[in-house]
Amino acid sequence: MSDFLQAYLTVAVFGGTAGLLIAGVLGLGRLIRPSRPNPDKLTTYESGVDPVGSGFSQSQVRYYIFALLFVLFDVEAVFIFPWAVGLETYSYFGLVEMGIFVFILVLGLVYAWRKGVLRWV
Amino acid sequence: MNVPEWWYLVLSAVLFSLGALGLLIRRNPLVMFMCVELMLNAVNLTFVTFSRSLNDIGGQVVVFFVLVVAAAEVTVGLGIIVSILRRKPGTTADDLSLLKG
Amino acid sequence: MLAAAFSRPEIDYHAFAPEIVLVGALLLILVVDLLFEDRARWATSTLAGLGLLGALVPILTLAVDGGDRSMFGGAYVVDNFALVLKALFLIGGYLTVLISTDYIGEGDYYEGEYYFMLLSSLLGMLVIASARDLISIFIALETLSIPAYLLAGWRKRDLKGNEASLKYYLLGVFASGVMLYGMSLIFGVTHSTVLTVIGERLAGGGASVPIVTVGILFVIIGFAFKVSAVPFHAWAPDTYEGAPTPITAYLSVASKAAGFVALLSLVFIAFEGRSDVWQPLFWVLSALTMTVGNVIALRQTNVIRLLAYSSVAQAGYMLAPFAVAGHTGVNQAVESVVTYLLVYLAMNIGAFAVVMAVARKTRSGELSSFGGLFEYAPGLTVLTSIFFFALAGIPPLGGWYAKLVIFRTLLDQPTVWSVVLAVLVGVNSAIGLYYYASVARETWMRPVPDEDRTPISVPSSLAAAIGLCAIATLAIGVVPQIVARFAHLAPFGS
Repeated sequence: MSDFLQAYLTVAVFGGTAGLLIAGVLGLGRLIRPSRPNPDKLTTYESGVDPVGSGFSQSQVRYYIFALLFVLFDVEAVFIFPWAVGLETYSYFGLVEMGIFVFILVLGLVYAWRKGVLRWV
Repeated sequence: MNVPEWWYLVLSAVLFSLGALGLLIRRNPLVMFMCVELMLNAVNLTFVTFSRSLNDIGGQVVVFFVLVVAAAEVTVGLGIIVSILRRKPGTTADDLSLLKG
Repeated sequence: MLAAAFSRPEIDYHAFAPEIVLVGALLLILVVDLLFEDRARWATSTLAGLGLLGALVPILTLAVDGGDRSMFGGAYVVDNFALVLKALFLIGGYLTVLISTDYIGEGDYYEGEYYFMLLSSLLGMLVIASARDLISIFIALETLSIPAYLLAGWRKRDLKGNEASLKYYLLGVFASGVMLYGMSLIFGVTHSTVLTVIGERLAGGGASVPIVTVGILFVIIGFAFKVSAVPFHAWAPDTYEGAPTPITAYLSVASKAAGFVALLSLVFIAFEGRSDVWQPLFWVLSALTMTVGNVIALRQTNVIRLLAYSSVAQAGYMLAPFAVAGHTGVNQAVESVVTYLLVYLAMNIGAFAVVMAVARKTRSGELSSFGGLFEYAPGLTVLTSIFFFALAGIPPLGGWYAKLVIFRTLLDQPTVWSVVLAVLVGVNSAIGLYYYASVARETWMRPVPDEDRTPISVPSSLAAAIGLCAIATLAIGVVPQIVARFAHLAPFGS
């Protein structure tokens, strides 16, 4: 067996033990507890009140807009990290280049702000 | 402990085919987006693998760019989807047949 | 280790000037739009036009200066090929701005963003003309595509527009995924992303043959989507119909040209040594594209869809030189594709512009709405005939020269395959003549629908665009040396 699979053997043993443990505890409980099925026991519990509507609900569209903006600006940061690591070697040239990059990003942010996307209405 | 390089290549080929198949077969636009992501990330895996095995940083630079482009693509795509779903909730790609080629 | 390796890259700002001017213009449009909102909306189209013309100035100075400029280890090259095509993209963009001005101004959709997107997309095209590296080609392609997806769906409250946008988007990203996978395989075998290096390593042999074949195949299929080659054309007619008409014109000319430019540099620089792989592929793509495009175009009753399928068919003619490039040599193939692109720019934007002018009155793109155009708009009728017969390739209008160059390339060193392809081009041109002529017949001979003979008022910018295209189409047809000279400059610098 290769080294690679051997390393994963530990993981497999670990996972197996966890599975066995859960099955053992739950099985033991099942053996000793009394069994009295009742439809009321299966209803959704919502702080004592009868549940309203289905379990799924649509999140509001404005979450998406924030999420999209976040993803965009987050990903642009990918270019800033490697630059920050080598900041000193790139010296002024790097600083100017990154300044232009950030300037364009900021314009995008200003655009979003002026269009009222950043306001929570 | 070393995983042979071709395992990664096979994995990425499988992921890529899954993504491509999914894009062609599935009809929910959101699932189709996920398939696109799968394809692009399979490509990323290939680039990183080659980059490691060739000791060439170039491959990883490509991955940076692909990541950013993928984010931009998804943002645009979700924007288009949201504007469609606002007008027609529960749309699948088959419902979009006003314009039949 | 990283620190020692860094040396400041030499940046030739003169070579970058067109891109810098364009970036300046598009940022200015964004700021003006944000600061003045409704008061300055009209200014955005003027700014866009000025920005595009401004970007042409450094292209002229670069052309006068001459010489090839290569940067970033050969990843970005400004040679004659790049300059001719950059000029083509900028002029195409300028014509698009001209035909958009009133169309967008009169609609109730955003204006500032429209020109911002259009210029961003053009920026991608400028970069793709110079890109000689897998990464920069990919980035440029996405820079030009992503705004185009949004522009296609510009009428966002119209479900047709949404659908156009979504279809274009899904197939577009699928294509870039496929292309990128091909690129990753090629990177893996050749250890480089620079096209010239890839070219040397592929030609040198020793690379794993099946992987290279798959890689080349995937890259070409990815671009086949972009240039709407059959069987990867399904998005084109739907997107063309649902998108705003100026954008349709833009997509069918500039965006397609960008796909061809990237194909030219990829195939003829990077894959040149493997013509055994791509030559048969292009033969099949070209034959299928022109035949299917023309046959379906025959049945169209909507002029926009007719032009959409005609543009699919025209892509087939442009693919033909690729199918023989292995024998005739790269330069001739590049020259004929560039010639075709230059001529096609003038006649196709012109055709879309006259359709837009007529649709201002009829509010319809149906073929029957063109009936009896001659009775109330004789000038437009003549122009319609000029552009449609030019597309069909009738001398002395521009199109014949483009077709002639394609034939010359195919028959220069005839083999069985190239002769068969030339015959196909001939047959397809005849089919094309039938449906292009049917539009002309509608305008000259058919009765006016619902007897509405109010004359058409053509706004000045649209008229200017039509005039420019008509002059160019006629001039190229009568004095083809104009185009020939530029196309002859085009083949890649060293």
